[in-house]
Amino acid sequence: MKKIINLDINGQSQEVAVGPHHTLLQVLRDELGLLGTKKGCDTGGCGCCTVLVDGKAMYSCMIFAMAAQGKKITTVEGLTENATLDPVQQAFIETGAVQCGYCTCGMIMTAKAYLSSNSSHVPSDLEARQAIAGNLCRCTGYQKIVDAIRLAAGRRIVASSEKG
Amino acid sequence: MPSAIGKEFLQPDSGQEVVELLVKYGDRALVVGGGTFLHGLVARGVLREMDVLIDLQNAGLSYVKQERDALAIGATTTFAELAAAERVQNKPELGSVLDALRYPPAQIRNMATVGGCVATAMPLFDLPVAFMALDSSVRAVGPKGAREIGLHKFYLDYFEHVLERTELLTEILVPRQPSRSASAFLKLETNANDLALLNVGVRVTLDEKGTCRDARVVVGGGIGKVPVRAVSCEDVLKGQRPTLALLKESGNVVSFDIHPVSDFRTSAKYRSTVAKVFVRRTLLRAFGRLGVHLDGQS
Amino acid sequence: MSETSIIGTSVLRPDAYDKVTGGKGFPVNVRLPGMLHAKLLRSPYPHARILRIDTSKAERLSGVRAVLVPSEVPKKKFHPVFFSPGMAASMIPDMLILSDTVRFAGEPVAAVAATSPEIAEEALDLIHVDYEQLPFVLDPEDTMKAGAPQIHPHAPNNIAMAPSFAFGDLEKGFEEADYIFENTYQTQRVHTCYMEPRVCVVDSDTFGNLTVWSSTQSLFGLREKLASALDIAVSKVRVVRPPYIGGGFGGKLDIGFIEPISALLSMKTHRPVRIEHTRYEDFITTARNPFKVVLKTGVKKDGTFVARSAKSILDTGAHATHGAVVLMVHGMYGFLLPYRCPNSKWEGFTVYTNNMIGGGFRGYGVPQAAFAVESQIDEICEKLQLDPIEFRLKNSHSEGQPHPFDPSFKLDTYRFADCLQQGAAQIGWSNGRSKGKGTGTKKRGIGLACQPLWVSGCIGFPDIYEHSGAVIKLNTDGTADLSMATIDMGSGQTTTLTQIAAAELGVPAEAVRMTYADTETVPFDAPSHASRVTYSAGNAAKVAAGAAKKRLLEVAGPMLKTTPDNLETGGGRVYVKGAPDRSLPIADVVKQAESPYVRMVPDGMQKTSLQEKGTVMGIASLAPAANPSPATAEFVEVEVDTETGEVKVLRVVYAHDIGRVINPAGAEGQVEGGFQQGMGYALMENLVFDQENGACLAADFLSYKMPTAVEMPPEIKSIFIESNEPTGPFGAKSLSEPCAIVPAPAIANAIYDAIGVRIRELPITPEKILAALGKLSE
Repeated sequence: MKKIINLDINGQSQEVAVGPHHTLLQVLRDELGLLGTKKGCDTGGCGCCTVLVDGKAMYSCMIFAMAAQGKKITTVEGLTENATLDPVQQAFIETGAVQCGYCTCGMIMTAKAYLSSNSSHVPSDLEARQAIAGNLCRCTGYQKIVDAIRLAAGRRIVASSEKG
Repeated sequence: MPSAIGKEFLQPDSGQEVVELLVKYGDRALVVGGGTFLHGLVARGVLREMDVLIDLQNAGLSYVKQERDALAIGATTTFAELAAAERVQNKPELGSVLDALRYPPAQIRNMATVGGCVATAMPLFDLPVAFMALDSSVRAVGPKGAREIGLHKFYLDYFEHVLERTELLTEILVPRQPSRSASAFLKLETNANDLALLNVGVRVTLDEKGTCRDARVVVGGGIGKVPVRAVSCEDVLKGQRPTLALLKESGNVVSFDIHPVSDFRTSAKYRSTVAKVFVRRTLLRAFGRLGVHLDGQS
Repeated sequence: MSETSIIGTSVLRPDAYDKVTGGKGFPVNVRLPGMLHAKLLRSPYPHARILRIDTSKAERLSGVRAVLVPSEVPKKKFHPVFFSPGMAASMIPDMLILSDTVRFAGEPVAAVAATSPEIAEEALDLIHVDYEQLPFVLDPEDTMKAGAPQIHPHAPNNIAMAPSFAFGDLEKGFEEADYIFENTYQTQRVHTCYMEPRVCVVDSDTFGNLTVWSSTQSLFGLREKLASALDIAVSKVRVVRPPYIGGGFGGKLDIGFIEPISALLSMKTHRPVRIEHTRYEDFITTARNPFKVVLKTGVKKDGTFVARSAKSILDTGAHATHGAVVLMVHGMYGFLLPYRCPNSKWEGFTVYTNNMIGGGFRGYGVPQAAFAVESQIDEICEKLQLDPIEFRLKNSHSEGQPHPFDPSFKLDTYRFADCLQQGAAQIGWSNGRSKGKGTGTKKRGIGLACQPLWVSGCIGFPDIYEHSGAVIKLNTDGTADLSMATIDMGSGQTTTLTQIAAAELGVPAEAVRMTYADTETVPFDAPSHASRVTYSAGNAAKVAAGAAKKRLLEVAGPMLKTTPDNLETGGGRVYVKGAPDRSLPIADVVKQAESPYVRMVPDGMQKTSLQEKGTVMGIASLAPAANPSPATAEFVEVEVDTETGEVKVLRVVYAHDIGRVINPAGAEGQVEGGFQQGMGYALMENLVFDQENGACLAADFLSYKMPTAVEMPPEIKSIFIESNEPTGPFGAKSLSEPCAIVPAPAIANAIYDAIGVRIRELPITPEKILAALGKLSE
């Protein structure tokens, strides 16, 4: 039986009819038209579906939509503010971290969550790799994605030191 | 593969209410913690007749409390929450748990629950082995009341444990460890997002003279239907001063206790061989946490 | 002036902004009003005849709009491969859209279209199929033996094809050899793992015209093969170019079952029909075929090849699909051609089994060959105490010599030696290989593997399309719209093509946009495969841009009061040669061409020139002039844990004679991505099946192990040697496939250097390493 629920997506309350077994990924893509979150495997193995739930990276293919009520969900569509790219998005473009792009949004969300909770230093090569261990990519070999994460981290530190 | 066509999604407010729902719905009900293992099964069409989903996130089971003789970890505490909990920091005796929690990728750490992990009864999982090395037990509630079961008695087979269908696992209890104890955990995996080919959890305790007073060695992964306490390995250590040779000897006798399986991931022979190495390395890591650094390879 | 500021610059990808903000252009996002969803019912048995299908219950389920069964599909067999004509003699048409006989576990037997994917899924359970199970065979050698089940009526002993080639006198060659090496190599089945699943939407009208959106590597190939499968005219099928797709790597070079099934359901329901593979379905629908290769090689003691023979067995599974061509490419570019040898023989067998079907995958049969050839070379050098670099150079081709495949071409640019020497210097090869240096139980080693000969497209190969086209037109704001059928599957095709066009036109890179295209509006392009896009499609883009530029200069001549041959373009302007201050913005010239012939001015009417009027545009459709060969050498350092057998890759140096780098970041990205695929192939990937029933055991990413960022080495160094190929656009030849061919043998050779064991079977798992070290205990 479908129920009408409210989900907080990118700061907006969205009303949607969902069945008990529907995943957040299905609801984002099929009901809410938010196509940035991707389905790569539907079994929590690839990371293409990564969204932030209360700021934490999670696989939306493994979250029941009904369980997502009351949480703040952030998708890639919520990163850009007034047409200004999030620094992580910008870094991905600049380092050549985007090839086919299918894993990209999931990677960006994972990177965003990681950098938000590790904001005081630039991650080492290994730390950046471990941060994205739950996100698969077949095109890039991950090298430039790691570069992008470290670039974004470095810029954030410079920006905050300039402010402070 | 067909997916479950669910009929109900319920979010009870307490463990007791969960039990009532389990009694009411019987075989149709499925309890959901983080859902990280569940969805794989759903996608493979394994759980089709279970059309009542009982989500535990509002049941008040997310906490890490210090009881008098044990650390009580609520069943819906996520991996990330447990790893960050103040009560587990800087405690060498809880090293096995923190080691185990570092392996999964961020998304799994944020979603997977401690209770879900233990209750799935998947011998390839890590936390149960880490907990078993610390003589942990499970607290469950059911229609007949609450009970505690030691983890070493909890598992029966793949995906089978001793709880009734109407019982809910509510807590993992990690008893206070003897003083001068440290634990550690290592996992053998093919890539960074993998189930264990083999894993080992150990706890060692030294006396004032630096002799190993007591030890636990638990082996999991593809070594059988349930994790195994490798008593032979423990016996080698007891009463001895830890040396590299002793640790190697302890590792070597693990073959008496485990009966690895061959599967599409690797063979029983490989698991047997590497189990010896991993027992040694995990012991080395644990002793290192007590300031006992032995020469040679880690 | 303009060319060098664009060619060789890491121009940002024009589609990157879209992709980082959500990525609208993926075919998986196509949604049409009234669209239905279809699901496929798949056979649980590896070999069976369908006696009866009862769909009555499924048809009655609320929400189901149509069902499709084998009796309803065209009976003419087809081959699904995009790059060959339907009737090509070298291809094997052995497929039907749905068949009464299923030949692999997972082969579709029926389909349902419904108003939601869930209802379609539920309906599948209501279809009842009576199967008669037949004996099946999964082993590629058993399948050729007498008494094995016959899988296709046209292939006795289940041999789909068995080509062989011989040169010189093999027997005499072996007699002259000082040493003879004979080894057997075995590679495994792996999955392409593109991250966007195979997906299509097909819409139809009442005349039976179809419009197709698909995650595909070829517009025209899909059009042709879909028309062929449906037995309708090609002009009834329109395939729309997606802005990009989420990866292909060769795994989307054929019609899956989904496009024809979707088309038939659309025609039945008069609605658009969508089919999206689950990841499980993708795993069992395309793969790199496993090979067994037996190599026998005779050398002189100075390392000269005197006799080489090879026998290769390719398990093509239930249908030939790519098996015919993969075999030939393997034999030619994997074995016979890369090195010189006066006496050679190769025999290949493409055999049917009841395993899953295969597809294309980067390298196309040659990774399997290179694993064998490059491992054996290392073994020969070790035995004879020869330097592996000198050995290869001794036996390789040289610049200026005739091309070994087609002597009417020459190896105009061929810098294999530079690749070896520069790569060796970068990794520190002359310090001596590691020979197991390391601390304690961890041993290090360095290995080398090469792909001395490769292709830039397919000109010269029988039965393979190779021509490209482009249309480009300039806008009055100084931008240009480039329209091509070329598919961008992530390797940066759009970026490269727009860069080339921009450089030729003399406008900034961002000024050229790749725009809408479908099979009705643009000239033919062959698929995005065979490392061909930069060289072939790039050439077409350059020629089209050149034609547009010629027209531009004809219009600009009178405006700048000179003749067109006295003009040049650069930085978005047209200028007089030698007098750069006499210039005009290109936008102004285009405005002149597009503005009215007669203008109103204060004094009345003013005429311009009729000859200048008309859209400034260029069109090209042509075949490339040649098939130049890049060359590749890769050096890899590994560390082996001799207690567990685990292998860690520490360093990679990749050297490639590329002709000219169009986009450095893009080129590095190909090397790095290729290494992930090659390393996965070498160490962990394995699509395994239950030998009792043919069921796939590894059809999800937890069970199928692919390298994550953590397993990759901290650095992959790319060295690009720019030999300036005269026939390539701005000197470019190809890059992508060798990146995925050389890692596995380089890793295998590095493991030998580290621990002195040769493993001749992929993947090289920790278990195999311990077994080879004699360390596996009970």
